[in-house]
Amino acid sequence: MSGAKTGAELTRQVFEYTPGAQPRLDEDDPLHGELLKLNMGPQHPATHGVLRLAVTLDGERIVDVDPDVGFLHRGKEKSCESLGWHKFFPHTDRLDYVQPLMNNISYALALERLGGIEVPARAKVVRVLLMELSRIMAHLIYIGTLGIDLGAVTIFFYSFRQREELYRVVDAYTGHRMNNTYVRIGGVYADVDEKVSAMIEKFLADFPAALDEIDALLTRNRIWYDRNKDIGVISKEDAVAMSLTGPILRGSGVNWDLRRAQPYSGYEEYDFDVPIGSVGDCYDRYLVRMSEMRESAKIAKQALDKLKTVKGDVLIEDRRYVLPPKDLVHSSMEELIFQFKVVTDMRLPRGEAYHGVESSKGELGFFVASDGSSKPLRCHIRAPGLMNIQALPMLAKGRLFSDMVSLIGSMDFVMGEVDR
Amino acid sequence: MGSLESGSLRAVSGDASSGGPMAADASGSGFFATRADWLVNWGRKNSLWPMPLGLSCCGIELMAMIGPKFDLARFGAEAARFTPRQCDLLIVAGTLTWKMATAARTIYDQMPDPKWVIAMGVCSSSGGMYDSYAVVQGIDSIMPVDVYVPGCPPRPDAVIDAILKLQKKIEREAPVAKLLGLGAAERDERGTGKLVYQPNHGLSKGVLDKHPHDPKGKLGLRDPAPRKTENGKP
Amino acid sequence: MSTTESSTTGAAEATPAPRWAAALEGIEHRRVASADGLDTLEVAREHLHQLLAALKERAGFAMCTLVTAVDHYPATPRFALTHQLLSLEHSERIRVRCWLRDDDAHAPTCSDLWPGANWSERECFDMFGIRFDGHPDLRRLLMPQGYDHHPLRKEFPHAGIEPDRLYRQWDRQRRVGWSEEGAAQ
Repeated sequence: MSGAKTGAELTRQVFEYTPGAQPRLDEDDPLHGELLKLNMGPQHPATHGVLRLAVTLDGERIVDVDPDVGFLHRGKEKSCESLGWHKFFPHTDRLDYVQPLMNNISYALALERLGGIEVPARAKVVRVLLMELSRIMAHLIYIGTLGIDLGAVTIFFYSFRQREELYRVVDAYTGHRMNNTYVRIGGVYADVDEKVSAMIEKFLADFPAALDEIDALLTRNRIWYDRNKDIGVISKEDAVAMSLTGPILRGSGVNWDLRRAQPYSGYEEYDFDVPIGSVGDCYDRYLVRMSEMRESAKIAKQALDKLKTVKGDVLIEDRRYVLPPKDLVHSSMEELIFQFKVVTDMRLPRGEAYHGVESSKGELGFFVASDGSSKPLRCHIRAPGLMNIQALPMLAKGRLFSDMVSLIGSMDFVMGEVDR
Repeated sequence: MGSLESGSLRAVSGDASSGGPMAADASGSGFFATRADWLVNWGRKNSLWPMPLGLSCCGIELMAMIGPKFDLARFGAEAARFTPRQCDLLIVAGTLTWKMATAARTIYDQMPDPKWVIAMGVCSSSGGMYDSYAVVQGIDSIMPVDVYVPGCPPRPDAVIDAILKLQKKIEREAPVAKLLGLGAAERDERGTGKLVYQPNHGLSKGVLDKHPHDPKGKLGLRDPAPRKTENGKP
Repeated sequence: MSTTESSTTGAAEATPAPRWAAALEGIEHRRVASADGLDTLEVAREHLHQLLAALKERAGFAMCTLVTAVDHYPATPRFALTHQLLSLEHSERIRVRCWLRDDDAHAPTCSDLWPGANWSERECFDMFGIRFDGHPDLRRLLMPQGYDHHPLRKEFPHAGIEPDRLYRQWDRQRRVGWSEEGAAQ
């Protein structure tokens, strides 16, 4: 806040340039023009992790926001270069840790594109099923945490009850509640068996009713409406220019969903709708995410039905990329050598590849480059959350400070993915 | 405490920290101090106020722990406050990076005594899978830790177990004796910021912390100390 | 660089002229193929901004998906600065690569074209030390301010160089400030 301009001038300038309906600036306020720097985070319950926001305030109004990220930067991209392609799979779980399986699949898809590997049909169906369940998990976290931040603590218990149900499913399938590295190059580690699919079926049968409960508690709730409506409006053009993707872009009215536009894993065979907002405010993003959960449940149901007809392996039998079965390793010399080669010296062809998937936050992409050796040359993670935080100053300027909380919640970022 | 005759209380032996109402030596003048310790510890251990420092993945499991299924309220530690000045239990849940370390240490310093720390997950216990340039290799590099919980992330049951373990540890503390300067100062190294390894009292003080499948722990047996005879030979 | 060239130019010649070819007339660039079949344009640094502007204005690439670099150490030129763009209306991606030498690792910014590229460029500067000319706010993004090294360069060790230096510095100041000896001095 340097330069010749006074605080009052700066505030006025911000107000003139901010689009949308603004709360009236009280010019007679004796404190108007005295700028206050407020530090929010890196430990703050509303910042969803370790985000630091240096907020400049004029009274209750936000004049400027300077987000500071990197408090969870763990050097994942460097880790990939030193670990190798396979051993990086567990690291992808911890990117957007509310939807580990989605990250696994995104990374596997990028490697498969680089290696020109075709995945079996049944593995594709299982992947779609896992991705949609992951999306529901992530959106439930969004609803729960935004509810806590806005004072609706009950929602947290409603959404976490559903999430616990999903945890049970994932636990039965993969053996762990979170961070379940269960996707491999060329498929998934194990098939979805009868027991698990029965559990998923039961969950999907109960889920719409649970969602209706959340809907009844929130959507027409006066406080919820007032704290979300017309807050953080972003236009179509701005959203595209700021590289926003996912529910935020769709909330602004842009019909862009990678599952539709550039289908992967056989998404073109499923029947689903892409919810689109109209205004582009926090409330639209909330509505978009609620509808997306319903659509995800729909897709998951279709995938479950498909599992009954599409039979076959869920993992390719290519010894260059996939570990041989353990009993063969113990009985055959050749397979032991293959196992050794895959663990220590798995190579992908020389070149660069990019694959993006529509994660719950937006376009989650992996840009991988290989020089043909067993060590990756580069693995860049295109994190949607980073772009979402980048747009935060644009949305927050001119708003009340209390709107910051709903803004952060509606941007829905996870710092593990933002900082990598 | 100031009005009490401190002279008589100084006769308490240094081993006043063994905890429990029946464990104290009732014949000596340490009776008061140990009984007061027991009362204070009982109050402290059953009303822990956790400060959830949710850094990464473990933070989600921490939320699940407070959530409807696991329900931490059963153990009197559900009143999570996000301001360190109201809390006495810091749960560091997740990966601590060097950039965040200053903030984490500040939070620890802002908490009033008595305070305890749980390192939740392998990242905060030892750096975990991140042997990289940005990650603190275990939060005991910057603050003392009471309980380590393995797992990536630990299941909520494991963290609840850690809180129960911590309650047992609190039982063995001697706050009144420490206040009066009567030994039992094993917690005095807190706050130095040095690499501190907490001594595990369970190994020498009793069978409380022994694993249930450990036959020695189950039967209450201990390794017999070499008995000294009068001429100094076993 | 030479290896990438030789292995890919042959494939690119055979494909028909793409949609955006007309928009780039008059700008010196080279079209190469890549492993994932995405069109990749190689361009010299002098023409990089011009090319990106043409792609945005005339070819409809409205979104900048990522800006990053690949370190080909010890080859020279060393850094492959990579922009990846996305056209929503045509559902099409394109990659632009610009080779940079180690001794003058700087490139024109594209954050004036796409404001969303601002932080990607900051990250690229943070991780590789590539400077972006004309960038409004070229600070470190992920590593703490005041850190001396650029972690994703190949010569930087995975375990890091003095990762705790800034913390120890802060810690020392804190203790001197708080202790009685410090106050007495």
